[in-house]
Amino acid sequence: MTRYRIGIDVGGTHTDMVLVDTLNNSSRVHKLPSTPANPAIAVLEGVQHFIASGIAPADIAFFSHGTTVTTNTLLEMKGARIGVLLNRGMRGILEVQTQAREGWSTFDHFFVKPEPLARPRYVREIAGRMDFSGQEIERLDEAAVREAAQALTADGVTSFAICFLFSFMNKSHEERAAAIIREIAPQSFVSCSSHVLPRIREWPRYSTTMLNAYLAPVLSRYCGDMGRGLDELGVTTRQRFLMQSNGGVMPLSADAEVHTVRTLLSGPAAGVRGASYLLARAQGWRNLVTMDIGGTSCDIAFIEGGEPVEQSEGTLDGRIVGVPAFDIATVAAGGGSIAWTSESGLLEVGPKSAGADPGPVCYGKGGRQPTVTDANVLRGALNPDYFLGGKISLDLDAAKSALNLEIARPMGIDVDAAACGIVRIINARIVDAIRVEAAKKGIDLAGHTLVPFGGAGPVHAAQVAEQLGMRRVLVPRNPGAFSALGLLCSDVRHDYMRSELVDIATLDAAHAETCFASLESEARKEVAVEGLDPDSLVYEREMDMRYAGQGYELQISLAGITRPLDPQALNAIAERFHTEHTNIHGHAARDTSVEIVSYRLRAIVPMPKFAPAKRAAISAETKPAHFNRRTVLLDAGRNIDARVWRRDDLTAGFIADGPAIIEQLDATTIVPDGWRFTSDDDDNLILERIA
Amino acid sequence: MTTLTQTVDPVSVQIVRNRIACLMDEMQHHFFRSGYSTIVRESRDFSCVIVDAQGRLITSPPMFYHATAYYHLARSILSIYGDNLVDGDVFISNHPYEGFTPHSPDMAIMAPVIVDGKLIAFSAAIAHKADLGGTVPGTSYGAATEMFQEGMLLPPIRFYAAGKLNQDIERLIAANSRQPRVVIGDMRSQTGAVTIGRERMKDLAHEHGIAGIQAIMNEAIDAAGREMGAALKLLPDGESSAQAFLDNDGDRAEAPVKLHVTVRVKDGRVTFDFSQSDDQRRSPVNLRPPQVEGTCFHALIAMINPQLRYSDSARQYVDLILRPGSVVNATPPAPCSNYMKVSQRLIDVLIEALNPFCPGRAAAHAGGSGGSIVVTWGAGPRHAHHNQHEIFGSAYGGTAGQDGASGTTVHMTNLFVTPVEIVETEFPCRVNRFELIPNSGGDGEYRGGLSFQREYLALQPAVVLYRGDKTKFAPSGLSGGKEGRKSRFLVDPDGPNEKQMSANCRVELQAGESFRIEAPGGGGYGDPALRKSGARARDREDGYVT
Repeated sequence: MTRYRIGIDVGGTHTDMVLVDTLNNSSRVHKLPSTPANPAIAVLEGVQHFIASGIAPADIAFFSHGTTVTTNTLLEMKGARIGVLLNRGMRGILEVQTQAREGWSTFDHFFVKPEPLARPRYVREIAGRMDFSGQEIERLDEAAVREAAQALTADGVTSFAICFLFSFMNKSHEERAAAIIREIAPQSFVSCSSHVLPRIREWPRYSTTMLNAYLAPVLSRYCGDMGRGLDELGVTTRQRFLMQSNGGVMPLSADAEVHTVRTLLSGPAAGVRGASYLLARAQGWRNLVTMDIGGTSCDIAFIEGGEPVEQSEGTLDGRIVGVPAFDIATVAAGGGSIAWTSESGLLEVGPKSAGADPGPVCYGKGGRQPTVTDANVLRGALNPDYFLGGKISLDLDAAKSALNLEIARPMGIDVDAAACGIVRIINARIVDAIRVEAAKKGIDLAGHTLVPFGGAGPVHAAQVAEQLGMRRVLVPRNPGAFSALGLLCSDVRHDYMRSELVDIATLDAAHAETCFASLESEARKEVAVEGLDPDSLVYEREMDMRYAGQGYELQISLAGITRPLDPQALNAIAERFHTEHTNIHGHAARDTSVEIVSYRLRAIVPMPKFAPAKRAAISAETKPAHFNRRTVLLDAGRNIDARVWRRDDLTAGFIADGPAIIEQLDATTIVPDGWRFTSDDDDNLILERIA
Repeated sequence: MTTLTQTVDPVSVQIVRNRIACLMDEMQHHFFRSGYSTIVRESRDFSCVIVDAQGRLITSPPMFYHATAYYHLARSILSIYGDNLVDGDVFISNHPYEGFTPHSPDMAIMAPVIVDGKLIAFSAAIAHKADLGGTVPGTSYGAATEMFQEGMLLPPIRFYAAGKLNQDIERLIAANSRQPRVVIGDMRSQTGAVTIGRERMKDLAHEHGIAGIQAIMNEAIDAAGREMGAALKLLPDGESSAQAFLDNDGDRAEAPVKLHVTVRVKDGRVTFDFSQSDDQRRSPVNLRPPQVEGTCFHALIAMINPQLRYSDSARQYVDLILRPGSVVNATPPAPCSNYMKVSQRLIDVLIEALNPFCPGRAAAHAGGSGGSIVVTWGAGPRHAHHNQHEIFGSAYGGTAGQDGASGTTVHMTNLFVTPVEIVETEFPCRVNRFELIPNSGGDGEYRGGLSFQREYLALQPAVVLYRGDKTKFAPSGLSGGKEGRKSRFLVDPDGPNEKQMSANCRVELQAGESFRIEAPGGGGYGDPALRKSGARARDREDGYVT
């Protein structure tokens, strides 16, 4: 039976899961505290939870999850001790990096570079050199590689990054060095720059390769634990996946020595994929701002014209990551963010989070420092008796006394003012981040809909939207499990590339076809190893092109170009390049020859997608009534008297004006006065500004 | 009834200011991604800006070098063309005196933004060109004695009239350049970036209305000025001086050039008095006033609060005393090619002079400019499409609380190093060493940053022009810190004929010969005896100190 599909989103605080029954297209959600020391434990517990409820493990046909394990390892600098092999005389590449001060005020002479992933003592120079065309001009000093592998392994290095010049033209030195290291230290991980990012410009390639090496052992151990755990639970499917930063999934068994760095945005990418598939593609919401607030952080992304905004190279924590990814900004603002008073007597929130353990004070699990969630309970936004559908009863008094002790008393204000201040600060931080990110991308927020998800998204959304001048908020059906749902909307995606500089006027079309064919066969091989069907692969071709003399390329899609490639097709591609150059850079140079620099192949194995059923329309007799009223303090310090509904009671087409509170198992939505809400037939809760 | 002062909502001001800052980033991105010369696409030696109808910057670009020149350029265009500007006009100039560019290789392109016949702003970029003629390849001539040896000079002239390119001017530039294809390619990319800026500004004007966008820009400019004014109010009144010397003066090993400043602060007004700086020189170490303004604002902001935004309303709080005919206010035809190393050194002097006003904020002298090379490749199996032009950073000086950063561009420059793989792919040479120089940071409680060296092997005959600084006068330490290592330019490094060259030199190499650039290190901060033993041990472990 291939009945069930499971998506699991591992956050810093909670692990959210969704189980879809493909027989009747229904879904069930489950939430449990994350286990940061080994995140696989919570995932497996969750799977166990579904099995215990009567699901036969053999009926689980598909398992996919998003993880922050690599991101957190990097941010906490807890990755492997890595050794780096460089060409002789080339240490400066790691020290000078770009030479520029990106992300710093140009005026600031207190500039510092990020902590190095490998101290100089773990960096070894190896004789051996390729020239620019990939010709060997000096033999690889194999004895030096051997010596370095032995010495570094003895020094506790468990993962190696091999970073040689021009390896994107000729991999043989890197691959030979890797083979030697594997002989000497078979347990080690070895990441070659020619495998991780076969592209010219050494520093972005080395930076990406070192990140891969730093994180590969962690990801590999994690995937190993996960795989064994699933086996032990009796889960038999080979369809076990991990979300990548580019919104596609890869198998748990994918090669960590090549692919680890592609998971750095695994966690946040799942929700963006969910929004782009479920809301944009399936329901026609084309322009969205996603705001995923969990326990620790808030992730912000944009969907323009139905597609997530992507970037081909980004930075994380000041480090260059040269692989394609969704363009996601993260700010330290979550339900667990801790409030404190600084020495100068100012109220501060975060960046520290109480996480899942001990969690906010009101959880009663030993937390003493007040958090955003505690402030939300105190101001009446959260119902202490209906948190997680009543599974956890919140300790209002404990939250109150902590807030009083830590914030109100030192600042000489009352507890309400303290709660209100905490929420104002966190809202403003999110507002600023969205505003700056939108401006960077030239996005006009007025035409966009804010999509809050994550457990803490909907409680802040309307006030964030209000401050941004946005008039519409869309709360999806299961905000807490929305990222997990996104995992059930993703295809398997691998990106391949091959660099080979040629003037398109002299390019033999048959040769170009051979280049793409070799990438396709690489993809077929990798997919077969991963246990997927190579015949199901769908390919998207692209070429990196530029005018002769330029240093950067445009990625030109070959969609709609006849294949196999012929001379007419090459003409059409050149024409497409001129047009794109004009569209993007504002000018073209038709009198200059056009070069192809790289062939790129995106290989996709399509996966079935979750398609929720429509919600039944309202009939006059079943108009749902609110079941309660309560007072909520808004961030501006104003009290509103709100009617309280249960989300499950709302039928399609129901409309009411705020102030209102809509409670559901995994989230609470606040509708301030001046807003109206309705439930649509896709089961979204739509908030619209009416005043 | 219409009022002259339209009130603006602070949120719109914030949004528009952010959008203009992002637009400047976007222009920057398009320019280097579509540029041809390595100086544009790898070093990114250019800036892109939006200024208002009076030429005032609303927010500063990531590289501050040119920031204060745009104001003067816009005014120059307005005084020449006045009301005669129409949509689609594009002006260019590379003239240090008439167009206010820092030196003649820097070409400015500026387009008025005109909506409904009304001038609301300018979109502009200044970018270093690969070659605009003159005595030597690359145009920057270290031994020039007058500006006429520094390539062709274009006062502000109309390059596009109402959207139509004046091809005569393009041909004129091409005819004067040793590298016409690269230069014309970069001119097109630069015009493209400026056009993007102009069109987006028109969109903004349509969105907010002409009066609206003007009021918003005014308020954004004023707000940044008010922040600056408030920060300056906190400075104590007083007076302080500092000075330093430039190595030499062009190719002739003449007397060192003295750079001297006296800073006076009174009631939040700051006066920078350069009267005691040396007279202008016959060689290209001279600065034009916009560059001096830039160094003063840079140093001020660095000292009072590096997060402050610069807008041209900051000018109201600052007075500059620049003696005409001095090295900081040269008169024609004094050449200006080497302005960069002069400005960098001047910032260190300014920071030192401001030290008593902002305790704990100063840094020891940085390495400054790490030098630049222009290599013209001769005959051989490989053909170089253009000159190899690279600009090197150095290192920061130590500060109260931290070691100076190693291997970085400093102060007003924010340039990227040219990757080894780009250098070797495009030019017949090999990079054999690219390393930090151990012990190059000045000792101190907080050590100066380490500079780096890069060594090249010529595979074909070549002519190398090198321009650097600090071969004679090392970067100073501060508060008891030691000086950083001097720079060196070596031919046949570590070989039998090793020779150290002067800070401005021209070297002819045969295939198989090599040269090495060693950039100057940062000065140390504080008494070396106070340096923590852990920090010393770590330096030794990392090989930074031997």
